[in-house]
Amino acid sequence: MRFVLRRLGFFVVTLWAAITLNFLIPRLMPGNAALAMMSRYKGRVNPEALHALEIAFGINTHQSLAGAYFTYLGNIARGHFGISLTFFPDAVSHQVLQALPWTLGLVGLTTVLAFLLGTLIGLVSAWRRGGVLDGVLPPIFVITSAFPYFWLALLSIWLFSIKLGWFPESGGYDVTSTVAWSWTFVGDVVRHSILPALTILITSIGGWILTMRNNTISVLAEDYVRMARAKGLKPWRIMWTYAGRNAILPNLTGFAMSLGFVVSGAILVEFVFNYPGVGWMFLQSVENQDYALMQALFLLLTVTVLVAILVADGATAVLDPRTRDRS
Amino acid sequence: MTAQAATATVKPTTPGPGPSLAEARRGYGGDLWRAVVRNRKALAGLVILVFFLVLAVFPGQIAPHDPMAEVFLPGLGPSSHHWFGTTAYGQDVLSQLIWGTRQSVIIAFAVGGLATVLAVLVGVSAAYLGGVADGVLSLATDVILVIPIFPLIIVIAAYEKNSGLFTLVVVLGALGWSYGARQLRSQTLSLRTRDFLEAARVRGERKLYVIVFEILPTMTSLIVATFLGAALYAVLFAAGLQFIGLGDPNSQSWGTMLYWAENNEALGANMVLWAIMPGICVAGLGAAFALLNYAFDEISNPALRMRRLDRPIPDSRNEGGAVDVPVDPERILEVRGLTVAYASDEGPVVAVDRVDFDLARGEFLGIVGESGCGKSTLLYAITRLLGPPFAGEIVAGQIVFQGRDMVALTERQLRHVRWREFSVVMQSAMNALNPVLTIAAQMRDACKAHSAMSAREIEERSKEVLRLVSIDPIHLHSYPHQLSGGMRQRAMIAMALLFTPDLIIMDEPTSALDVVAQRSLMAQIKELQERLGFAVVFVTHDMSLVSHFSDRVLVMYAAQVAEFGQTRRLFDKPLHPYTSALLEAFPSIHGPKTRLQGIPGSPPDLARPPAGCRFSPRCPQAMARCRAAEPQLVAVDDDQVRCVLYENGVSPDNGREALASPAKGTA
Repeated sequence: MRFVLRRLGFFVVTLWAAITLNFLIPRLMPGNAALAMMSRYKGRVNPEALHALEIAFGINTHQSLAGAYFTYLGNIARGHFGISLTFFPDAVSHQVLQALPWTLGLVGLTTVLAFLLGTLIGLVSAWRRGGVLDGVLPPIFVITSAFPYFWLALLSIWLFSIKLGWFPESGGYDVTSTVAWSWTFVGDVVRHSILPALTILITSIGGWILTMRNNTISVLAEDYVRMARAKGLKPWRIMWTYAGRNAILPNLTGFAMSLGFVVSGAILVEFVFNYPGVGWMFLQSVENQDYALMQALFLLLTVTVLVAILVADGATAVLDPRTRDRS
Repeated sequence: MTAQAATATVKPTTPGPGPSLAEARRGYGGDLWRAVVRNRKALAGLVILVFFLVLAVFPGQIAPHDPMAEVFLPGLGPSSHHWFGTTAYGQDVLSQLIWGTRQSVIIAFAVGGLATVLAVLVGVSAAYLGGVADGVLSLATDVILVIPIFPLIIVIAAYEKNSGLFTLVVVLGALGWSYGARQLRSQTLSLRTRDFLEAARVRGERKLYVIVFEILPTMTSLIVATFLGAALYAVLFAAGLQFIGLGDPNSQSWGTMLYWAENNEALGANMVLWAIMPGICVAGLGAAFALLNYAFDEISNPALRMRRLDRPIPDSRNEGGAVDVPVDPERILEVRGLTVAYASDEGPVVAVDRVDFDLARGEFLGIVGESGCGKSTLLYAITRLLGPPFAGEIVAGQIVFQGRDMVALTERQLRHVRWREFSVVMQSAMNALNPVLTIAAQMRDACKAHSAMSAREIEERSKEVLRLVSIDPIHLHSYPHQLSGGMRQRAMIAMALLFTPDLIIMDEPTSALDVVAQRSLMAQIKELQERLGFAVVFVTHDMSLVSHFSDRVLVMYAAQVAEFGQTRRLFDKPLHPYTSALLEAFPSIHGPKTRLQGIPGSPPDLARPPAGCRFSPRCPQAMARCRAAEPQLVAVDDDQVRCVLYENGVSPDNGREALASPAKGTA
């Protein structure tokens, strides 16, 4: 119980830190970025939108920094993220919610798949120490882990879309097709997601393979694995319930810790593929200087990572009885 | 003369296994360079890194053209004049690549350096200060670690458009230290209680001094790893930022090249190399850091490196473990010429050297010796459990157990013998029980592996064996960490009794317990043994336990049998000088109080055993001929001893010759 509470506490503190950063960055940047931004907008955007921005960034409101901060916290708590300039007069929250399913579907599924697959390969390659798998995979994935996500995305578009024509070049679905729960549309979505998914999979799986392999190698040296051998258990039983069950525990924490990294890569992949998810929208908002939307999306990314961490913590609590009892 | 020789031989001839202060200080640092050059991945990473460093330092000398000059035909394909073609603006791609190296290298090293300094400051001081400071710093570290940094940098860059190199380095460095800080903190925490730090504290050295001169040097490889990790992430993130147009579009960098290439649809417009080559450079520089990082992980964690003996297990093994020599049915175990070797950087190390002994049904055999003499290796060889971390291999000998040669059995054949016919009790149940399974589950999988018992029968049997070792069966469904140390140890013994095997191998089963718990557990083991009739091989360095419980004793010294014989005789009249020394080093329960004497020196390094008798450098009775040749194991009545005093019928009383000259240590 203490474990869960502590993790929830961490969730709240981190969220608060992200919100505060969001509040402070535009106000504390040299030359007051918020003011500079406002002057850029004068005459270009609807006065109503300008006023909404003024409130969001605390300009001309004669509020102290602290006062503005609490107003800001209040707005966030009520889900008021301001009004999007790009999609004026649509509320930011509405826009964000439209992009979220795309990202959850693409990045979420791919990341979980990469984690599971990578963990499995890492376990087996450590178990078959010195085998073919173990000899070939780690060096390869050390190198692929250094590949820039966006570059691999560019490369795969060039090869599989432009040269070979196997997959569509960009987008989440064919713009000429009707958006509906039909087989054709779902098939179209899947076809559009294969290249970006493969890009994310290839660049992120290496990390899981390597950490799981190293964890398993350490665990294989533990007395309880030797004991399992002494008991004459079948090898797969030792691999799963003795080596695997214990080696995955630090990997779950690692999963949580490196999610921020995966999200960063996914943003760029969505950008390259023009995939209509949160990352693409995030970079669009940067390009359009749509700060309200940008900041809301940054918070959303943070919350997503934090939720994933809570899930990983939950899994740790299920798999490791010691965390459940720790007082 | 003898006394003089004895004092001269007191000095240990080889350093003991424990690292001295000086060694700990040098840490990995001293050998780091050699280790890097030996590791293929590290070498590859280093070569790539040096290649890019040269490009970064001398772009003017290497690049064939001015990188920015738009003087060639746009969109040229690769040719001898333009290896990688030209850009849509008529610039030479190769020259741009070469000039772009500098920025990536600067970013990598500057961010790596900044992040490492911050990581060391935060991580080490958090661990060393402890308390509230640790709490606050650790929380800050974790928060920064999980906030998605790249989007945060984008947010900052969005307000500070076209930020220069300096801003980029500061922001990346200020956000990239947390992972390293976390690891450095836990490493420092594990170092805090080490002897050499305690010593520094006792000497009253200041905290800062301790951190800088005692802690940091031992963490060289972790600090290097932090640097490499941060450098890798900086190269990738900086390229990503420039690619999406958040860097200075006029800067010469790989990321900016990719930005322009993408904006001119270079891939679609047949200027493929313009878009591919910068990415290969980013990936190459990144791979250099990743390879070095991975290699350092291997170097600092020896378990990740694999060593193999060049010599394979001899082919003399016979199918199914049939034994040609007739076996005495009263002997449950017979070990003949068993030799185990480990691979090491200096070649094979023989940790068990031609060991022979036998065990009768229901017999209790104690194996004693100082740490590092090969006792545990012997046990794990007999049970065919050698493997990491004791990556030794049986290179010669036979282990005849219940009529078959264990050395010749395949893993599959072994599985059927295990636990039914012999079981193992390990030193610490805390480590030997699987922490994520209940006691019941761990009993169940053993039962399922060897029998067709129903779930109900397994439950009943598990409760029964728990009762045998005086544990209330309500604890059956507990996890190991929920039991006390004594209970865990008993639970492990209960597990070993599931099939009432003929032999139980025990590796210091009581040494993790306090003296009182130790006594009662030993008494219980002895009682069970007499009741159920299994034989025991019992490893310990506690001579008093051996004297009370074992029928015979095997004394090991430096991988060899020094003496093997009846317990009573061995304690009353030890034959080998090492046995005598061991007995004098332990308090006697009965008998007159005598001054305890330690054994001067320490056991030899098995990689370089002394010439002749291995105990001779520490032996008070050493003579010249002790160094001349290795003594053989000789029979004295029913027992055996390896000492020149008993060779060729020489009796201990008249065989002592004075040494010709005072002993020189075997260097």
